[in-house]
Amino acid sequence: MSSLDAALDILRRLDPTKIEENLSQLIKLDPNLAEDLLTSVDTPLQVKKDPHSSQKEFLTCDYNRDIDSHRSPWSNRYVPELSPEDLAESPFPTDSVRRTEVLANDSFDIYRDLYYEGGVSSVYLWDLGDDTDDFAGVVLLKKGTQSKSSWDAIHVFEALQTEGSNQWVYRLTTTIILHLDSGREMHLSGNLTRQTEKEVTRPASVSENSDAFRVWHIANLGALVEEVESQMRNQLEVVYFDKTRDIYRELRDSQQASTASSRSAHEEVVKGLQGM
Amino acid sequence: MASEFSTIIRSLIASTPSGEIKDVYKDLVTITGENSGDTILDAIAQYNVANFIPVRVGDKSVIISNYNKEGSKFFDPATSQLFSVDHLERRAFDVGPSEKKLDSTSESIYKDLRNYTSNTFPGDVSYALYPKGDSSREIVIALVSTKYSPGNFWNGHWRSVYHYNTETSQLKGTIDIDVHYYEDGNVSFVCTKDVENESAHDVVLAIKTLEGKLEEELRASFNNLNEKEFKLLRRRLPVTRSRINWGKGIGSYRLGKDSAENQFR
Repeated sequence: MSSLDAALDILRRLDPTKIEENLSQLIKLDPNLAEDLLTSVDTPLQVKKDPHSSQKEFLTCDYNRDIDSHRSPWSNRYVPELSPEDLAESPFPTDSVRRTEVLANDSFDIYRDLYYEGGVSSVYLWDLGDDTDDFAGVVLLKKGTQSKSSWDAIHVFEALQTEGSNQWVYRLTTTIILHLDSGREMHLSGNLTRQTEKEVTRPASVSENSDAFRVWHIANLGALVEEVESQMRNQLEVVYFDKTRDIYRELRDSQQASTASSRSAHEEVVKGLQGM
Repeated sequence: MASEFSTIIRSLIASTPSGEIKDVYKDLVTITGENSGDTILDAIAQYNVANFIPVRVGDKSVIISNYNKEGSKFFDPATSQLFSVDHLERRAFDVGPSEKKLDSTSESIYKDLRNYTSNTFPGDVSYALYPKGDSSREIVIALVSTKYSPGNFWNGHWRSVYHYNTETSQLKGTIDIDVHYYEDGNVSFVCTKDVENESAHDVVLAIKTLEGKLEEELRASFNNLNEKEFKLLRRRLPVTRSRINWGKGIGSYRLGKDSAENQFR
């Protein structure tokens, strides 16, 4: 097993509410793991305000980070501002990808409103090379605060065209970090991850690199994100509530006393019958 | 003074679920090398004592803690044994006789505990009675129920520890429950609750009542988290009660909302 696999195994075992702390401690143990761990481990999303866009909130993660600043999807500028020398090296999407990003942020903002009735959403996209239309990105949604209950959805995806065809495949890895706190002595928290894939054929009526083409991509991604989130919401409900309670009953079960005594009474009857 | 390295190891071990210490030990050795094995084992020994972890002594499961520690060894007053512990394997070795034994009061509480635990805790259950310091009036009662099912990606741990004064009948304790589920993720349910009863004349009955009450509270808390907290985060379906019409027309949701809001202006 590699050090990276070992570190990932530790992180799926240790208290999920301390993931940021545990992550930084593992990096101290082996600084070589830093880059791989930071890109492969999802931590609760942070919120920043964009001063260039009426203080509108946006979400930050490793994908929109440069040094200690984060690029806002609303103004396409880094917050806090970077020095001109740093900014010259900072990553930005190409004009065409940025155009898709703007449209995607608009659509997912509506999605957020309809499903979350509040919260913050942000979409970040990047191209996958000069000689391809393939692109990748991350759709982020957050509702609530870490000190109480919160939901963080992180959808990392790639949109890849099958060579020489109109087939596009969307590969999506979704992590939902859910923290439920009743403000009393108990909390339920953690994360679940799921991978999905969807293939869609581009209709002839949608010509490449038009706005219609961008909207078509966003519609495919949007429907996929909506489907996966709905399924995972069900799965989270089953794991957090039914599964946890089932395991609890394996530890302590006040009903057991009565079932055990009725079982032994039953056994007595069986024994009695066998003795006849 | 502890080095930063051992502080980090201790902190990582401290937030490990009790059923997965061995896995995390192996992972840490992979990351930090064989040489750090002793540092990790020291952290695990501290963890076991601090968390009242049961170890195998012959065919019996005995809880270890600061209250039955004697030098580097541990004693079991119920069987009058003294033993060393392999903290990674949770197994006793060098088992010998000890002068410690339960007095008649403790003996009778111990019997009540056996009845209570065998009827209420279906997990692997251990219980113990230890003297608290030199005082003969104060005793520590510990109860641990575990169920480890790594093949199904879950582990559960119940621990309740009480301080009981046999003269004043004052009972004070803490109940800790930890459930870990880690298939395709990492989900943990944690509950810590301080409980007390000022006049626990029948101490095991008092413990049973306190623990039964917590179970009732948990049921209510779970319902509250599901019905209120969870539902407030993300709806099952949009306000419109149907899946979203993605594409060019998606902006109409916003137009619809704006015009609805405008009506009330």
